[in-house]
Amino acid sequence: MNGKAARGRFIASFLAPAFALYGIFVLWPLVQAFQISLYQWRGTSDVVRWRGLENYRELATDKVVAEAVGNNLYMLGVGGLLIFALALLFSHAVLANSRLSRAFESIALFPQVASTVVVALLWQFMFHPQFGPIPLLQKSMGLGEFESGWLATPSVALPAVTVAFVWFATGFYILLFTAGLRQIPGEVNEAATLDGCQGWRRFASVTWPLLWSIRRTAVTYLVITVMNTFALVYLMTKGAPDRRTEVMLTYLYELAFTNSEWGSASALAVVNFLLVMALAFGVRLLFRRDPTAART
Amino acid sequence: MEMKSPFSFSLLSLALLVVASSCGPAGTTTASEPESGTGGEVKVAPDAPAAPTGEGELKGTLEVQAFKGGYGLDFYEDAAKKFSESHPDLIIKVEGNPRVWEQLKPRLVAGDPPDLMYPGWGMDHWALVADGQLMTLDAALDSPAAGGNGTWRDTFEPALLKLGQQNGRTYVLPYFFNVNGWWYDKSVFDANGWAPPQNYTELLSLCEKIKAKGIAPITYQGKYPYYMMFGMVLPWARSAGGAEVIDRMQRLEPGAWKDPAVLKAAEMIVELRDKGYFETGATAMTHTESQADFVVGKAAMIPCGTWLFSEMKDNLKSTNQLTFFLPPVLGEGKGDPGSVIVSIEPWMIPAKAKNPDAAVAYYKYMTAVGVAKRFVATKGTLTAIKGSDEGSLLPVLQEPSRIFKASGDVWSWQVRDWYKEMHTEVENALTSLLNKELTPEQFVDRCEAAAEKTRYDASIVKHTL
Amino acid sequence: MKTARTALLVAGLLLVGLPLLWVLVASLKPSLSVISDPWGLPMPPRWANYGEAWTEARISSGFFNSLAATVGTLAILLPVGSMAAYVFARYSFRLSGPLYALMLGGMMFPIFLVIVPLFILMRQLSLLNSLPGLILVYVAFSLSFTVFVMRGFFEVIPEELAEAARMDGAGHASVFWRIMFPLSRPGLTVAGIFNAIGLWNEYGLALVLLQKPEVRTLPLAVADLSQTQQYQADFGALFAALVIVMIPLLVAYALLRHRLHEAMLAGAVKG
Repeated sequence: MNGKAARGRFIASFLAPAFALYGIFVLWPLVQAFQISLYQWRGTSDVVRWRGLENYRELATDKVVAEAVGNNLYMLGVGGLLIFALALLFSHAVLANSRLSRAFESIALFPQVASTVVVALLWQFMFHPQFGPIPLLQKSMGLGEFESGWLATPSVALPAVTVAFVWFATGFYILLFTAGLRQIPGEVNEAATLDGCQGWRRFASVTWPLLWSIRRTAVTYLVITVMNTFALVYLMTKGAPDRRTEVMLTYLYELAFTNSEWGSASALAVVNFLLVMALAFGVRLLFRRDPTAART
Repeated sequence: MEMKSPFSFSLLSLALLVVASSCGPAGTTTASEPESGTGGEVKVAPDAPAAPTGEGELKGTLEVQAFKGGYGLDFYEDAAKKFSESHPDLIIKVEGNPRVWEQLKPRLVAGDPPDLMYPGWGMDHWALVADGQLMTLDAALDSPAAGGNGTWRDTFEPALLKLGQQNGRTYVLPYFFNVNGWWYDKSVFDANGWAPPQNYTELLSLCEKIKAKGIAPITYQGKYPYYMMFGMVLPWARSAGGAEVIDRMQRLEPGAWKDPAVLKAAEMIVELRDKGYFETGATAMTHTESQADFVVGKAAMIPCGTWLFSEMKDNLKSTNQLTFFLPPVLGEGKGDPGSVIVSIEPWMIPAKAKNPDAAVAYYKYMTAVGVAKRFVATKGTLTAIKGSDEGSLLPVLQEPSRIFKASGDVWSWQVRDWYKEMHTEVENALTSLLNKELTPEQFVDRCEAAAEKTRYDASIVKHTL
Repeated sequence: MKTARTALLVAGLLLVGLPLLWVLVASLKPSLSVISDPWGLPMPPRWANYGEAWTEARISSGFFNSLAATVGTLAILLPVGSMAAYVFARYSFRLSGPLYALMLGGMMFPIFLVIVPLFILMRQLSLLNSLPGLILVYVAFSLSFTVFVMRGFFEVIPEELAEAARMDGAGHASVFWRIMFPLSRPGLTVAGIFNAIGLWNEYGLALVLLQKPEVRTLPLAVADLSQTQQYQADFGALFAALVIVMIPLLVAYALLRHRLHEAMLAGAVKG
């Protein structure tokens, strides 16, 4: 029988269109971008100069890179925790299936549907030192004020940007967790209730483990989104004040478009890429075992 | 099924990388010599071609790409229409948008640039010069001007023409230009019996009076710290220590930023901050926000260039009387108190332009006094063409024009265009100074360190004043 | 418990809904009052902002170009991406792992880094300034996400359904087209909606690959406006334009919402 050959032909023919397009328009330019990281290139002519690993060596000692990586990780850690906590809370609330919950569910994705330009402007006003609702609230609660507004005050600028990011991103995870919760069979919850397992305990011992595969998807996606954050930060602060909100991609943009150092910019992209890969790999290790598998 | 190890991709890419590094990236030319380590002077690409004189027969297509900022594109389109009336064989296309440089960069790399371009603030035109991407314009400048009165060179203000030159060659030309200074609203000042301060001492006492009225004395575009560099730090340093201080900074001389004059300027900023003369929250403001506060009367003074009027003209009240004055410098400083800091908006002809003759001829037409006068009248800003500000001027332009002509010390801060990385660091240091994270001493130390790093980085092309 | 839940939902509605309202209100304000009085109501509403946005920013032609680019991309992307995702989900073969990782790698790279090499490539292929050219690039750049999402859906479709067709002598390809592809509709909905959001708002690639005014897409038109307002301070028209951009997506989302929720339930979450 030639089943095996047919199978091989089938696999090849089904992968071919995707990989042809992907190879030509994504991989080929990407390989060139990788190559550029070994050269000095101003991005304004076809003249390049060989630099070897010099661009990488410079990045290794560049304080801005260290600061940007730290800020990315802060957004991933603090922002990620906030997003997950909120998404879990809201997805439980949405399950009630009332008019209110349906209304909320239908607009939860709005921040992502809106353009980033809107999101950035909106949050600049939310934190505005003169009429921003957040500073007003802060003042009325007797918590003092930041004279330059949150976004220009070094100690709180990054938390403020993180809040805007959380507002922007949480909707997607609410939908994701809601879908996950609805997947948990009713009998499981009933059984738990019969065992006297309620509230927080039920969540910790039943719901949370069952959400395992969704958590993995969510964390992976979050890692990719946070590490590739650009437009929101660029439009809100451009990395100000003094690099406190700089993230890798805003610095990369500065290297390429302001400083005309495309070689360094490409090297930073490679570093960013490897970092995302390492984090994604870490996520995979963390979620290696299905906690529900042992029990069934 | 599980996600497969993502590392296989990175390993594969690294393998590709190793293979690929033996030949240059596709579509590029590897420079035969490594960058020289001297870093002493600008490396003029030896093959930068000279632009023609624009006196040949004009035919074919002329493609003009221009940055669409506050002055729009309509004037250049209109000029193209009028110009082509006398050149029927020439088709002129004028296009552009607010991010035109992002489109022009790949075209330059691909060797398919327009014939004439005004690429806007996002283009590093000195990088173009270093890579031999621009024509030299001296032969054209020495040819007759449009209309035939003298050479084309003579039609430009020499102090502004100089800003497009390196090592005696001209690469970019100015059209309109900006005079940087401060603004107040004359109607507000008159109503309160205030006068624009002539020097720093007067500024301090005026600020006290304004503050007592419940108005913020000074606002600024904190999100873009270069406004404060151009409006306060640099003019004050030049005032305290004379022109030589700024020249040494621009030449990246060791210790230039540690000059007491620079420290004095930083201390003046700190003094204004500590006395509460800056508007609350200005550090976080964009130019639009701070200028809006100025226009509506929340703040009394603002440092800004001559473009202020065109940016805000749709939002002015009938009572607004925006008036320009020089930064209030030290009464007893070493510098010329009439000193004025300018900047140009450069136009250029790419080395690979297909119709450079038409580009020169069209630009010559734009710089004819009559055409430039129309630009001044319709756009509300000054041009680099001698005599274009004669006749009836908009009220907002009268002071800038008078001050510019009367000044014996017209200068520019080119570090911002020449050494972008360093300038970003200086601007960040200024933000930190305002945020009380740096003392004036630490501010100058950080600027000095940035200058030193630039000085020793052989991959950065060095420029000469 | 119930009151806590209600309070939470109300808070959520306000947190997301009020800003939406704010954008709508801002779009009816005279220019500067958007920033000088951002929380005030427009009295009277300035409908002219919409007229200005529509004419000034070439929104009408941008609108149809964007529609063509988005729909055209989805029409190629969904089948092509599904084919690859299906193979990755249900066949094991030697290069499966590395190829899948290679495909996902594209999600992890900033697009603006490849813009210059891509421009040169497109120029060599004579595909600049053409919507079909842009669509091919969009398809290529959307494949990673699409394959990532679709794979999860194909994994959960029960094998018995395919088995029955195989008994009838259907080949690999016809099992896919007759059984699997139609069954993956929830996945297509998820991939379709999230790709559409991204494509409809895409800016960086379109900016460089479409330089002729007549082919420019909506985000380019709006960006033009949003950047010009920095020099002319016309916020009212900018917000009007932003509303014009958002409305088709919000309508599409409202129409497809139930399908999307069903779909996410069906297996996007499998990852």
